[in-house]
Amino acid sequence: MKFTLNIWRQKGPDEHGRFVSYEARDVSSGTSFLEMLDSVNQGLIAKGEEPVAFEQDCREGICGSCSLVINGIPHGPDRGITTCQLYMRRFPDGAVITIEPWRARAFPIIKDLVVDRRALDRIMQAGGYISVHTGGAVDGNVLLISKDQAETAMDAASCIGCGACVAACKNASPALFVGAKVSHLELLPQGKPERTNRVKAMLEAVDREGFGSCGNQNECEAVCPKRISVRFIAILNREYLRAGVVESGLPAEPESPHAEST
Amino acid sequence: MALSGLGLVIYVIFHMLGNFQVFEGPLALNAYAALLRDMPILLWAARIGLLSLAVLHVVLAIQLTLRNRRARPIAYAVREYRQASFASRTMATSGVVLLLFIIVHLLHLTVGVIDPSSVDRLDVEGHRDVYGKLVHAFQNPFIVAFYLAGQLGLGLHLSHAVTSSFQTLGLEQAAFNRLLKAAGPGVALLVVLGNVAIILAVFLGIVRG
Ligand code: HEM
Ligand code: SF4
Ligand code: FES
Repeated sequence: MKFTLNIWRQKGPDEHGRFVSYEARDVSSGTSFLEMLDSVNQGLIAKGEEPVAFEQDCREGICGSCSLVINGIPHGPDRGITTCQLYMRRFPDGAVITIEPWRARAFPIIKDLVVDRRALDRIMQAGGYISVHTGGAVDGNVLLISKDQAETAMDAASCIGCGACVAACKNASPALFVGAKVSHLELLPQGKPERTNRVKAMLEAVDREGFGSCGNQNECEAVCPKRISVRFIAILNREYLRAGVVESGLPAEPESPHAEST
Repeated sequence: MALSGLGLVIYVIFHMLGNFQVFEGPLALNAYAALLRDMPILLWAARIGLLSLAVLHVVLAIQLTLRNRRARPIAYAVREYRQASFASRTMATSGVVLLLFIIVHLLHLTVGVIDPSSVDRLDVEGHRDVYGKLVHAFQNPFIVAFYLAGQLGLGLHLSHAVTSSFQTLGLEQAAFNRLLKAAGPGVALLVVLGNVAIILAVFLGIVRG
């Protein structure tokens, strides 16, 4: 197969970027998208040109490193997968493919297709943790968590922090990411004590980082490689309203020690 | 945003229901209008309340829109939306259409400065003839076109706004989600159909002076 790639090239954070066109020839249909870029880069290196910088690590859809907006859609044309899980058989032979970085003020470009996503880490540092030691694995049936609750928390926890939700959102809002993180911690007993301060601190961090605000357009849900539901944005909003009602400054509500035996 | 918007939505619904009295003839509508004007304190309280809701809504909308524009300084060269509806992506535009419509609508029928050919009369019961004014207005094709355009803006805005406000308020429950999702387009459709029915009923001569 053969493809024409329009790739965003930008030397550094403060440089001007532009699209450069490259040909990818003799691509077998079983090649993954990133392998295809690897071979284009091999060609560039052989010619003594600067290879295209893009981020990747696990190449199996679990680390959240890979990115790329492919023909206008973060992580490309297939649903529920990351760019590293995308194969060239998905494109018609001879296709023109435009490849851009995630675009958001909060994700400044480092080079070419690589953006700085540490803003998401700083949101996590603001409140996306629990402060107590949970110790080793507890004995069975000591800490009762209903199946529904456990599964919902697990759904939320499957977010890999890739930032595609921000890239897809017209407003560059990270609501789906924050919703997933806040929900997954809030739904489990270990995360409950700090829930009030957590949601406030994380949303304040969102503002500091220069993200936009959620308009409930739900584009994020349609590109999320882990198919995180916008339901978690509703839960985030609920948590935030609750935090506004619960008096701030009070120590977090203690868990009743015998709640599980009632 | 959601609360100020929902306040306006409730008003828009009652506004339409009130105006349905045009179908009960001139005396009913004029008596209704007189009833509203006979309670100056209530009327002005409602007007001030509505105005502050609207100002709050527009100020918040401007702030949000500017902030959201700033959040993506460089646009994508290629962009494809999978799920975000047209209405949801054009809230600021449909909002501006609505704002222009509301201003002209108030100048036209409340203040009465847009259409010099319209004269204030009294009906047989001595009430101001609002009905006559309405019928006069909606016989003019330009005014009808303008009002229909306003309804288009209203329909687009509401179809996203109502469902969106529920999500903003954190309302989400497996059993009700389909209802919550349908509420926006549903309310938009009812309000627009209702208002358009009044306008067209006059224009097509079903309701006459
Ligand atoms: C006067 C001119 C108006 C302007 C400029 C305006 C603008 C906006 C904007 C920009 C948004 C935010 C959308 C987003 O965040 O994606 C919005 C939301 C909304 N608007 Fe308006 N609007 C106007 C009038 C109205 C009217 C008349 C109503 C009611 C009939 C209304 C009801 C709503 C509602 C319910 C929301 C949803 C808030 C949310 O998503 O939380 N708006 N409006
Ligand atoms: S919510 Fe989905 S799209 Fe957003 S960061 Fe997490 S995995 Fe990526
Ligand atoms: S490289 Fe790890 S998710 Fe794609």
